[in-house]
Amino acid sequence: MENSNKLSQFTSRFATTEIDALLPMADMARTFLAENDFPTSRVERFKYTRLTKLANAQFDANNALAVADFRKHHICSDAIAIYIVNGIVHFPESNLPAGLTIDMLSSAKSLPTSSIKDVFAGMNILYAQSGVCIHVAKNTVLDSVIEIIHVCTGSYAGFTRHHISIGEHAQAKVVLTYVSEATNDCFSHVHTSIEVGKQAHVNVEKVQLESSEMFSFTDEEIWQDASSVFQINTLTLDGSLVRNDLHIQVQGEHAETHLNGMYMLNGQQHVANYSTVDHQVANCESHELYKGIMDDKSVAVFNGKVFVRKDAQKTNAYQSNANVLISDDASVNSKPELEIYADDVKCSHGSTTGQLDDDAIFYLRARGLSEKSAKQLMLTAFMSDVLDKITIPEVKAKVFKTINKRFNWELEL
Amino acid sequence: MIKIENLHASIDGKEILKGLNLEVKAGEIHAIMGPNGAGKSTLASVLAGREDYEVTAGSVDFDGTDLLELSTEDRAREGLFLAFQYPVEIPGVSNINFLRTALNEIRAYKGEDQISAKDFMAMVREKSAIVELDSKLASRAVNEGFSGGEKKRNEIFQMAMLEPKLAVLDETDSGLDIDALRIVANGVNTLKSDKNATIVITHYQRLLDYIVPDFVHVLYDGRIVMTGTKDLALELEEKGYDWIKDSIDA
Repeated sequence: MENSNKLSQFTSRFATTEIDALLPMADMARTFLAENDFPTSRVERFKYTRLTKLANAQFDANNALAVADFRKHHICSDAIAIYIVNGIVHFPESNLPAGLTIDMLSSAKSLPTSSIKDVFAGMNILYAQSGVCIHVAKNTVLDSVIEIIHVCTGSYAGFTRHHISIGEHAQAKVVLTYVSEATNDCFSHVHTSIEVGKQAHVNVEKVQLESSEMFSFTDEEIWQDASSVFQINTLTLDGSLVRNDLHIQVQGEHAETHLNGMYMLNGQQHVANYSTVDHQVANCESHELYKGIMDDKSVAVFNGKVFVRKDAQKTNAYQSNANVLISDDASVNSKPELEIYADDVKCSHGSTTGQLDDDAIFYLRARGLSEKSAKQLMLTAFMSDVLDKITIPEVKAKVFKTINKRFNWELEL
Repeated sequence: MIKIENLHASIDGKEILKGLNLEVKAGEIHAIMGPNGAGKSTLASVLAGREDYEVTAGSVDFDGTDLLELSTEDRAREGLFLAFQYPVEIPGVSNINFLRTALNEIRAYKGEDQISAKDFMAMVREKSAIVELDSKLASRAVNEGFSGGEKKRNEIFQMAMLEPKLAVLDETDSGLDIDALRIVANGVNTLKSDKNATIVITHYQRLLDYIVPDFVHVLYDGRIVMTGTKDLALELEEKGYDWIKDSIDA
């Protein structure tokens, strides 16, 4: 079959994983990959994302450039920094705060069983070479931020996998940073699973800053226990083809989930955000807010799904996606979805896409503001509610710095 | 201050201003009245530089500068202010933030230093009092959720903050009750000096009871067809515009 050749050609460059904890899932993944090819646009989940360029790209997993000073890429100055450089893990082995353990993924005894929703999830199970396991013991409140910095260079291609478990009553802030250097068609797929224990609080800032030669796929699977609070801010500021899959299973009552996202795109960037919040039990709430600004010929995809299962009575679930197009050639495909099987819930969703109001720009200019300042003020105002969700000041500063540089703006914090 | 000569302007190929002449000197208040569709708001828009309008002939000299050559923002920076007939609501953009940006960009244009946060806030307090604008309103998003009267008071507040040489008030009286009208007019009168000038565009004489003009012009079919003193406004109020239309069209 010609079709299956494409995927097998693509995977032929990767060595099968030797991570013990992945082996129980490997057969399932192998079967899935044998039965499926790279998805075409006929597949709903990939309707707007063309993968031909990725399938044909010339990666060389063994020919990544050495990175001498990868440690410059962290965002948070006082963070416990874990670097994944072209799949090679570096982490501090001493002086960790009490209650925090970090290990190589290869030393994990077991990992939660993942769902294989597409070939990328399957490939990650079968070809992941590295990653870390992080455990925050119960009742531990971490003052330091844990930052995992993914650095890709040259024509690297590979799969990385992390597992994070947060014990009962524990609190942690995690920053997932994605950067690249001197790339020449680079592919990275990172799967991160997070188990959030009872009454635990977890905040994840995901900052995507990779270059325009980068195919960056990320996949987060979250399990939330009772009365836990989980927030993830997905901040996509660069990258050629970026695909974020976020899957949250709310399994304990009175849990609270916040998913926020912002994407600011230009050039020919393609950024797809897929999310699923699966309310399985009663008395939980989820809030989803994604906002995007698109320039040039960039394309954004938003697909947010909220399931409210039969037993998930008294669920409050809110979902919103808003976009501003600042060029005539940019486009957005937005699809918020609700599937509700319980009868006593409060749910809403909405999606808007528009342009900046010319009358408002004229009004501001008539007061002496340049056109550029007027637009910046309005775009900052548009983004402000998402920007306000960022809990770490250094992350916020990095976001502003990146936007100013890429769009030649002068936004102020 | 401003000298408009033989101004022709059109929108979507339709000529609205058809050879308008007007001169306003420093220290003067001019009222421009006229029936609906005469071109009053077009004049305001053309002066402010709205790009929908095309100037096909004529000139506008603004204190020695060719106004028509300037961008909208540079006109504002040179000291032209337009109080909008319909002030725009801009969700999320704070009144105060945008005014500080505006002031600083105007100052940068003139080669002046930026205003300090302390001086700026003192100025906000002083100027918002002139139009009895609650300082809470001043710090809210631009015009968002403002009543009609609050929007117009906000226009005059902005005018007070920016201290223009020439203010053009486009139908500032429309939609105002008598109390709001008095407050707005009082603001305009307070800001008046022998160095600035005001053009009041209005359909009704009512506003001119509070802002007393030195000259009243009648705009009809794209031109100024009659000029007089404030008594002309009273005459228009009494007789309507038809007698002017009849005499011009005849």
